[in-house]
Amino acid sequence: MLIRKMLRTAWSYKAQFISMILMVMLGVGMFLGFNMEWASIEHNMFSFFDDCNFADYRLVSESGYTDDDLGKIKNIDGVTAAARILSVNVDVKDSGGDSVALAVTTDFSVSSFVLIDGDTYDGESPDGIWLSDRYAAENDINLGDSIAFTYRGIEISGNVVGLIKAAEQMICVRDNTQLMPDFKTHGFACISPALYESAVGSGYYPQINVISDLDKDTFSEEVNRALGKTTVILTKEEDLAYSQAEGEVDEGKAMGSILPALFLLIGLLTMVTTMHRLTAKEKTQIGTLKALGFHDSRIIRHYTSFAFFVAVVGTALGVGVGYAVAWFIMNPNGMMGTYMDLPEWRLVLPGFCIAAVALIILLLTLIGFLSTRQMLAGTAADALRPYTPKKMKPMLIERTKLFHRLPFGTRWNMRDIVRHKARTAMSMVGIVGCTILILAAFGMKDTMNAFLDMYYDNGLNYSSRIFLSEGVTDEERREVIEKYDGDCGGSVSVQIEGKTVSLDIYNITHDKIRIMDESTKKIDIGDDGAYICMRLAEQFGLRAGDTVTVSPFGTDDTYTLRVAGIFRSVSENIVVSGKYAGSLKSPYTIDSGYTDTEKGDIAASGVIKSVQSKQMIMDSFEGFLSIMDTMIYMLVGGALLLGIIVLYNLGAMSYTERYREMATLKVVGFRDKKIGRLLAGQNLALSIVGIIIGIPLGALTLSYMLKTLASEYEMKMSIGAGSYILTVLLTVGMSLLVSLMVARKNRKIDMVEALKGQE
Amino acid sequence: MAIVEFQNVSRVYTSGDHELRALDGVDLSLDEGKFVVILGPSGAGKSTLLNLLGGLDSPTSGKIVVCGKDISTLSNNELADYRAETVGFVFQFYNLIPTLTVHENVALVKEITKEPLSATKMLSEVGLADHAKNFPSELSGGEQQRVSIARALAKNPKILLCDEPTGALDSATGVLVLKLLLRMAREYGKTIVIVTHNQNIAKMADTVIRVKNGKVMSVEEQESPASADDIDW
Repeated sequence: MLIRKMLRTAWSYKAQFISMILMVMLGVGMFLGFNMEWASIEHNMFSFFDDCNFADYRLVSESGYTDDDLGKIKNIDGVTAAARILSVNVDVKDSGGDSVALAVTTDFSVSSFVLIDGDTYDGESPDGIWLSDRYAAENDINLGDSIAFTYRGIEISGNVVGLIKAAEQMICVRDNTQLMPDFKTHGFACISPALYESAVGSGYYPQINVISDLDKDTFSEEVNRALGKTTVILTKEEDLAYSQAEGEVDEGKAMGSILPALFLLIGLLTMVTTMHRLTAKEKTQIGTLKALGFHDSRIIRHYTSFAFFVAVVGTALGVGVGYAVAWFIMNPNGMMGTYMDLPEWRLVLPGFCIAAVALIILLLTLIGFLSTRQMLAGTAADALRPYTPKKMKPMLIERTKLFHRLPFGTRWNMRDIVRHKARTAMSMVGIVGCTILILAAFGMKDTMNAFLDMYYDNGLNYSSRIFLSEGVTDEERREVIEKYDGDCGGSVSVQIEGKTVSLDIYNITHDKIRIMDESTKKIDIGDDGAYICMRLAEQFGLRAGDTVTVSPFGTDDTYTLRVAGIFRSVSENIVVSGKYAGSLKSPYTIDSGYTDTEKGDIAASGVIKSVQSKQMIMDSFEGFLSIMDTMIYMLVGGALLLGIIVLYNLGAMSYTERYREMATLKVVGFRDKKIGRLLAGQNLALSIVGIIIGIPLGALTLSYMLKTLASEYEMKMSIGAGSYILTVLLTVGMSLLVSLMVARKNRKIDMVEALKGQE
Repeated sequence: MAIVEFQNVSRVYTSGDHELRALDGVDLSLDEGKFVVILGPSGAGKSTLLNLLGGLDSPTSGKIVVCGKDISTLSNNELADYRAETVGFVFQFYNLIPTLTVHENVALVKEITKEPLSATKMLSEVGLADHAKNFPSELSGGEQQRVSIARALAKNPKILLCDEPTGALDSATGVLVLKLLLRMAREYGKTIVIVTHNQNIAKMADTVIRVKNGKVMSVEEQESPASADDIDW
């Protein structure tokens, strides 16, 4: 019987019930979705790393390693497996500038790959090429096709026998100036040592990859003893794919805590206020049941089951939403699919989420329990007495003369706001939350666009970048660059306190290369020091005037650089002028020229490996931008939905509470429109206050988000006037829409019915 | 001269197959400036009659003419204007706005009426000038009812409609409120219609209309109505 009553009661409070369920759904959905995102990345990536025997350590030597060296490493106690490795970018012949990262491993139990289609790996294969399946698909290459690479002028050719994915190339980018993979122009491939050695004529392997449980210090000691010299050792954390993977997980964890927490909090608050109102309105019925002889426990069980019902239904829907959100981000054709090349896209629900969901259900049920117990306190007669709202007391402001000059509607609304503080506070949270999310989302877009504009206009003052071939003389390189009136530069990988970064050396005579300082003003690259990017400066606590010691990758040499300035960068790097590099006597090879000549006007020559236009560089950001746009639309949509649900729920609640008041106004002769305007006025006033509070908080949230993302980009926060205006318009529009929805109910007020009831 | 004219008015409520004739072919004519009491047991249709007259409800069939104007076919907005300009309501449960002070509850009508009377004056007329700044919850029932009378009169309506105005009050307070109602109605020349099941109130009326089962049973003009003081409450 009581269950029938519950269902009927739920129906009569359907607006409240639906909004509670929706809020729980949104809160749980966002919470699960974002947490599943990082858990899924973690699971899929790390199981991929395992499947590919991802190396724990990489030993690097420019002079290469012999089979003998490998034997010594394998003999170290605690080393599970080791292989000599070659991993270089080679050009794809007759492809118009495509490149692949070519890998050769002497032992397939280290740094291997996952086979998607074709033949399994064969270390003795004389002509087998295992090619990245995504590159193959983008370029219409099929199993059995022949393909050729050029490496240092030598051609390596063979047939595609397998299509693969490799953990080492999970984020498949040419170099660290490329943010997003582009499988049309860059892929990866693996060949057997047999093919490599027969094509090149020697077995040059500059790297040994090792799988070992030893910690870095012990391992370094053992390696140095075994090889009898100091060796450059990179841990897997220093590998691009691995560190990016960890970065994604950390980012996901950060996203999984801030935003969903906000949604969950608002959901819980909605539940608290709504449950309280609901039981308050049911107080007489509670009293009746009590007077009839129902035990308190039975009544509590009955009303608590309302909350339980909401919690269970909301949570169940929320789990669905969570999976949908996670799938949206984590599927091979979705947002992460354009970034990561994974063989498996399983959605993983982290264990703590199950506990959290159970806790949420418990908490929501508890809210119902506490609200009912409050109404049950005292005797049956007490419970029968209708719930009396707090008495009106004059507000402080009423002592002023000004207050009494205010229009009646304003005074009515002001008192109503003060009288229903909880409801007002909730509306505030809804509007402020909505404003914060919208502004942060638009601000993110503005910031990124401003950064790219600045990078395009100031950073890249050239039209084309010429990549120079490897096997040519310095004289030939210089000739090409002079021919096109270009500036030139080269890069050396260096280590600062064990961290590998790029040291970029530029010879600037034509102002083609520019860097900008923290406030995005152009810096002239002087000859008296190095310029450190903001991230490195922060990580190593460097300021202008300090010194920093770097060691070129694979050598024991060290150079002490004076920090001349800090600059904003796309990648983690240090920039010096050619003269400063010369004064340090640091050797480097010029590998690129930068010129105003358009790509099409640059004549092909043996000295030029490839030419990249400015537009191509900007295009590489496109994929990244489109991911961001999707995120932003999702956030704004979510924010508006949140606002509508919270405000509509409160509007509906306030409508029921003020039903008699409005019926009275109607009887006295107020038109529906006028009553609607009164309600809209209150919503609008609250919205304006909410927006005023929300805007600075939104900017604060954005700056916090940029800080957590700072490990990947060095962007200066910038929010355009358009974003502010759009945020205000969307929030006000949302509030007005809700007012309109609530106002429609006014027409349905039954004056006769409303005025009959007991006061 | 008739200020209110009911011509064969019926009001039928239907819910599903069930049909309830709350008013069934009522013909009625009320004169201007009179004190009219509508008497009848519960469910007789007297409140329906008052609600139709007050523009809170529209008849299923028939015609209601008030001040020469047919109100049975008005739109929602026109009905709102009719309520604002022509009639004033006094309810059993006062129906004041809890978030407005006593003065504001009365002054409220300025928002909708073209020629309202002064709220301050009306409040001193009902003897509540000192309570102008109080909130309704701070007043007794009788005081609240007096505020609602002041509010109804401040609109300066032609007709004052009262639905059991003393129903929620003790008898002494009820008499005071009734006397006030009558005095004000005479002073401002209003037609006053009271719906009640209290026979005593009927003794004070110019016209007594008895309603039963949705029909008017009798209309009785009283030559010399009793004064409130002469009635044994």
